[in-house]
Amino acid sequence: MKTQSFFIKAALACSVLIGLNSPAFAQEPPVRIGYSMSDTGPFAMASQEQINVYNMWKDEVNARGGLDVAGKKRPVEFVEYDNQSKPDQSVRIYEKLITNDKVDLLLAPWGTPFQISLAPVLEKYKFPVVGNTAASVAVRQMHAHYIWFPTSAVPDKMAVALTEMMKKNNVKTAAVISNILPFTKEIKNYLDPQLKKAGITVKYETEYPPSIKDMTSIVTQVKNAKPDAVLVLSYPSDSILFEKQASEIGISSPFQFVAVGPSTAAFRQAVGKAANGTVTLGHWSPDRPEWKGAKAFYDDYVARYKYEPDYLNAPLAYMSLQILEQAVAKVGLDKEKLRQTISTDTFDTIDGKVKFEGVENVITPTAFLQIQNGKLQIVWPESIATSQFQPKTHP
Amino acid sequence: MKNPASGDKILWAILAVFFLALPFMKQDYFTGIGLSFLMWLALTQSWSILSKMTGYISLGHVVFYGLGSYIVVVTWQQVPLWLAIAASGLASAVFAALVGLPVLRVRGPYFVILTFGLAELVKYVLLAVEASLGISSRLLFATPDITEIYWIMLGLAAASTLLLEAVHRSRFGHGLRSLRENEEAAETLGVPIARYKLVAYVLSAIIPGMVGGVMALRSTYFEASQAFDAMISINIIVMAVIGGGDNARGPLIGVAFLVALSELFWAEAPQFYMIILGLLMIMFVVKLPDGLLGVLESRKKKLGGRAL
Amino acid sequence: MSFIEVLSSSQILFAALLTGAIYAIVAVGLNMVYGTMRLLNVAHGDIVMIGAYAAYWLFTQLGIPPVASMFVVAIFCALIGAALYKLLLKKMLARPGDVPHLEARSLLLFFGLSLLIQNLVVSLQTATPRAYQYMDHVYRISNLAMTGNRLLALLVAFFLCLAIAAFLRWNIFGLALRAVIERTDAARIVGVDVERVHLISLVIGFGAAGVAGVLLSMMEQFSPFMGFSLTIAAFIVVILGGLGNIAGGFAAAMILGAIETYGVALTSPNMRSILIYGVFVLALILLPKGLFHKRFKK
Repeated sequence: MKTQSFFIKAALACSVLIGLNSPAFAQEPPVRIGYSMSDTGPFAMASQEQINVYNMWKDEVNARGGLDVAGKKRPVEFVEYDNQSKPDQSVRIYEKLITNDKVDLLLAPWGTPFQISLAPVLEKYKFPVVGNTAASVAVRQMHAHYIWFPTSAVPDKMAVALTEMMKKNNVKTAAVISNILPFTKEIKNYLDPQLKKAGITVKYETEYPPSIKDMTSIVTQVKNAKPDAVLVLSYPSDSILFEKQASEIGISSPFQFVAVGPSTAAFRQAVGKAANGTVTLGHWSPDRPEWKGAKAFYDDYVARYKYEPDYLNAPLAYMSLQILEQAVAKVGLDKEKLRQTISTDTFDTIDGKVKFEGVENVITPTAFLQIQNGKLQIVWPESIATSQFQPKTHP
Repeated sequence: MKNPASGDKILWAILAVFFLALPFMKQDYFTGIGLSFLMWLALTQSWSILSKMTGYISLGHVVFYGLGSYIVVVTWQQVPLWLAIAASGLASAVFAALVGLPVLRVRGPYFVILTFGLAELVKYVLLAVEASLGISSRLLFATPDITEIYWIMLGLAAASTLLLEAVHRSRFGHGLRSLRENEEAAETLGVPIARYKLVAYVLSAIIPGMVGGVMALRSTYFEASQAFDAMISINIIVMAVIGGGDNARGPLIGVAFLVALSELFWAEAPQFYMIILGLLMIMFVVKLPDGLLGVLESRKKKLGGRAL
Repeated sequence: MSFIEVLSSSQILFAALLTGAIYAIVAVGLNMVYGTMRLLNVAHGDIVMIGAYAAYWLFTQLGIPPVASMFVVAIFCALIGAALYKLLLKKMLARPGDVPHLEARSLLLFFGLSLLIQNLVVSLQTATPRAYQYMDHVYRISNLAMTGNRLLALLVAFFLCLAIAAFLRWNIFGLALRAVIERTDAARIVGVDVERVHLISLVIGFGAAGVAGVLLSMMEQFSPFMGFSLTIAAFIVVILGGLGNIAGGFAAAMILGAIETYGVALTSPNMRSILIYGVFVLALILLPKGLFHKRFKK
């Protein structure tokens, strides 16, 4: 029929036109990158930044024409599943990604327990993954060869640096409260001997489970101990709980450290002015001029998501992507070649240079941030500081 | 009319052949699904030894699974694997024997929530123990590959099938069923109910302990809250309720149904899976208390009637 | 902190009273529902959760403060109770069947309901814990610091307990309730409208649970899974205080709140779950048929 043939011709013409006009990457098969993420569950809030960064990166890369795979540009496609904040679910998902979905590359899930639990699986299938938001001394001891951690916030180094920083600020006594989750537990284990060595007396210490709902009795006891330093080794929800209840009760210690949480915009929003003066983990800032792309990353993130990126997890996630990108550009998708490159090369990232020895990044120093006037500043070490430490004052 | 017993035998034969052949297809992913099926079968059948036969519904069966996992994990690479797995079964049995007497004095719904509370209690105690040891999670490197784990699980599933059928047909099983119908009456008739209940409880604990141990090898990661996850207990009950019956066939249906459902949804829409689980639980309790097996059997009866 | 310091701390006392009061209003619903219908509603804690999310939604979307929305939420949850009764429970209760099996199976039904409710909320609101800021100003009386929302919660909880107790004492319904709890068949013979008693129990019980949810949402983070531990606590209260014994329930709730708060302060927060489940397991084992079996017959 006439109308039918007209439509067919029109359709053909259109597709030819589109084909001629679309950028070259439409012809190349996509690079499928798989990962699992805590979209739901207790860690969903904490994973959000990483999800944001992964998505932002994917769009940036595709806008540039695709991922450079040893010279050829190919579009990036994600294959993602929710691990419901359960590490064993995450392991199952990665097995599925490798054996069933047969993806080309893998990205890390959020968080220490998830990345740790991944190590044996990656070893079994010989699949390299650049880790990010996790750090544990344990993996170093287990000789994992297929995962690397660019973070410098490794518990043993952290304990040493934190103690140094406290000594420099004349801290003689401390109260230490810690979440029993892996990462914070490890920090506690390494912190104890460091404090002893530095002669800092621990006047009160306790541990608590991640499901804690009320910290009033803990906070009261911390207050009564009147320590120079309060060290709260916590995860985001307990960090917020602590700060709120501490400001309720009023703790006057000048040095207050809260491990995970204060580097996010959400924390500062939930806690308000009481957050000022809190010291936390972090080794990145958009304001160091020698870190290429740092300010651009910050600006792009804020433009896209309308709030500041987490200074700890967001840049780490981005760094891991940059490392992967540079490695793939150099050697393509072959797993063994990737493993070789990632283990030996030095990479340029938004946090400066990164090089791995074993599983660890040996260039980035262990650093701390402080919230000053609602903004995050690097206050330790001197070499990358953007501001000086200020004792916390009780509002 | 077909002899029902031979129909059964054919069914089991087919299943045996299928599961024996599966790993040889060299598809790791599907071996994994088969492994899941065998695991749930072993768990649900063992659970049935207690809960279907006596009517004492255990909502905390994961406690045995978790204990078994822990044993294998802490002895990893220090004792031969077969010994570790045997030990996990033994440890679960011992635990069941120790808590069984006081726990089984409690009846009806109180028993149900007691088992739940007990599992949670053991979970939190273990968490505290690990915390005091400075450990938050344990990793297992160099574990056997999935095919080896599969064979062990196949053995456990076969064992649970045989055990359940053996109990079902024995005098012991008869006694259990009588106390399920009316405990006081059974007692007056001379059934040693306390002893029988305890034996059922212990028997129902052994294989789940070993299953937990084997699955620790599969996940290579141990953390008390995951190993003692209440969802495992819940899944067992849903599978048993859907399957119906108190013999080895019921769990087959329930497990197959749920593994298929889970396979559809676990990766893409896990929430949807749980919602369906909740709906199924409600629907089966209210409308189909005898499970799918009950539906099949009533159909068979109807057909049998017509044939006559 | 030493033993004496813990005992004399007004801060810890405040926390204990607050915890106890919340447990009291959560448990009163379970007490009445189980007492009258012998149905173990393990989804009771999820009603609290619904109350929390309702308050959250009303506050963040419509700007209605919890102090006002608690009435709306109470009615909303009460309606859920009424709907549950009319649609599901009335049929289940009408079917005779032997008691222990009915009870065990109904427990599974409520468990299914719990799974359903929790995961529906997850799909609507995600499983991420939520919180909002309300009445955060801190009031101080010498050593004691209380945020406004905690103080309000304590007052509301106490007031609600008194109101319910008074209602049951002076209203004829209270008498009817006791009659149904004690002996349903006899109550029916004497002319008590048993179905109405069931309905009103559910309505009051769920309404109170909803209010508990509102109060909790003001004070802490909440998630779709917050219900479980509250249900367990409510059971402990019901068992310890005596089934159907509302006043006993209030006392037991305060005792449980004290055990939990002081126990944690004296040992460590790690012990909280161990304490709760430990008490739970012991209570069930030592009182195997629940306190009620000694006093009341069915």
